[in-house]
Amino acid sequence: MTCAEFQRELPDSIDEGGTAEFQSHLKVCASCSGLVASLESIAQEARLLQASEEPNPRVWNSIEIILRQEKLIRQPDSGTRHSILPAFRQKWGVMAWLVPVAAALLVGVGFLLYQHPTAGQPAARQQASLKAAAKFAGDQSDEQLLQEVSARAPMMRAAYESNLKDVNDYIRDAQESVNANPNDEEAQQALMDAYGQKSMIYEMALDRSLP
Amino acid sequence: MTDPRQAQGAGLSEAQAIERAKQGDAEAFEFLYNLHKRRVYSLCLRMTANTAEAEDLTQEAFLQLFRKIGTFRGESAFSTWLHRMAVNVVLMHLRKKGLPVVSLEEATEGDEETPKKDFGADDPILSGSVDRLRLQNAVSRLPPGYRSIFVLHDVEGYEHNEIATMVGCSIGNSKSQLHKARMKLREFLKTSRAEKAG
Repeated sequence: MTCAEFQRELPDSIDEGGTAEFQSHLKVCASCSGLVASLESIAQEARLLQASEEPNPRVWNSIEIILRQEKLIRQPDSGTRHSILPAFRQKWGVMAWLVPVAAALLVGVGFLLYQHPTAGQPAARQQASLKAAAKFAGDQSDEQLLQEVSARAPMMRAAYESNLKDVNDYIRDAQESVNANPNDEEAQQALMDAYGQKSMIYEMALDRSLP
Repeated sequence: MTDPRQAQGAGLSEAQAIERAKQGDAEAFEFLYNLHKRRVYSLCLRMTANTAEAEDLTQEAFLQLFRKIGTFRGESAFSTWLHRMAVNVVLMHLRKKGLPVVSLEEATEGDEETPKKDFGADDPILSGSVDRLRLQNAVSRLPPGYRSIFVLHDVEGYEHNEIATMVGCSIGNSKSQLHKARMKLREFLKTSRAEKAG
């Protein structure tokens, strides 16, 4: 067997041993055996690339948000779920007041919005309540949450920051649509969903994602 | 490196986590994610050579898995199921981008990859083990078609018949592409070693 013939057979034979002729040539030809050894070395080292990289924490963060939105993650039954407030206090210390207030506020905003204007709650008044509530759960609360995240899980800060920015953009866009068409039910639903997502981020921070 | 089974599981096995995830248990989902995230993300990163795309594809693979976890009956290994799903997600992505999952050069190359005269010269790869970082960089420089086959076979350990089915090519084509990928890597590694030495 010549070197050229050997090389033509190489793709089929390198991992499977090849014919007796192939093996004989391999034994006597330094050039071809050098080539095979270097290719085998590459193949062997390639295994080290398996599972060698760690994804950014924001990947799980995003997955978790979607799982919660799609209700694939469900809250435990009330019988097994402990009162969350003591856990918040234990986990978050002096800042414990912040997250339940913000989360409850955000949910409240959703409920407020979902109700259609009535004689007792005209649209203008409802909008004013909404704006006040949104302001309370706005930048200041987000910044406090991020400070807590930075202190407790610095690696997660970027993920939370990015998610809060996205959801605030979503809220702003939805709010603009509601302002333009106050009686548009789709716009109202979008705004409620946006606040729901923000509530979810706060809930995640409290619930499990932070150490 | 922290073992996710120890870090979070507190005695939770993968099978238990799967059952709990079917009930919507958040910790079980996270446990399963932590158990497999490196393998899935590394696969996506090697196949795309792009961090942002790899993150998106990792997310998509796990979401597909979690959405279907209720149908998992345990006949096959969970990891096999997940990794096959991840491969499909990546291949679909490459196809959508119009990138060949098998190199288009195959039909026209002929013997272009026959080793040049220097192949028997002092082979730098033989003088020491291949540096992982350099190999990683070299893999990212491969044309997408070669890269897919190389990653699936040499990194992930799939057999040529499995690759042929997944990618939609013949077994012979898979072998040929793999060989060309290794030859190109050898060339890249030689060049980078020479540059480093120079």
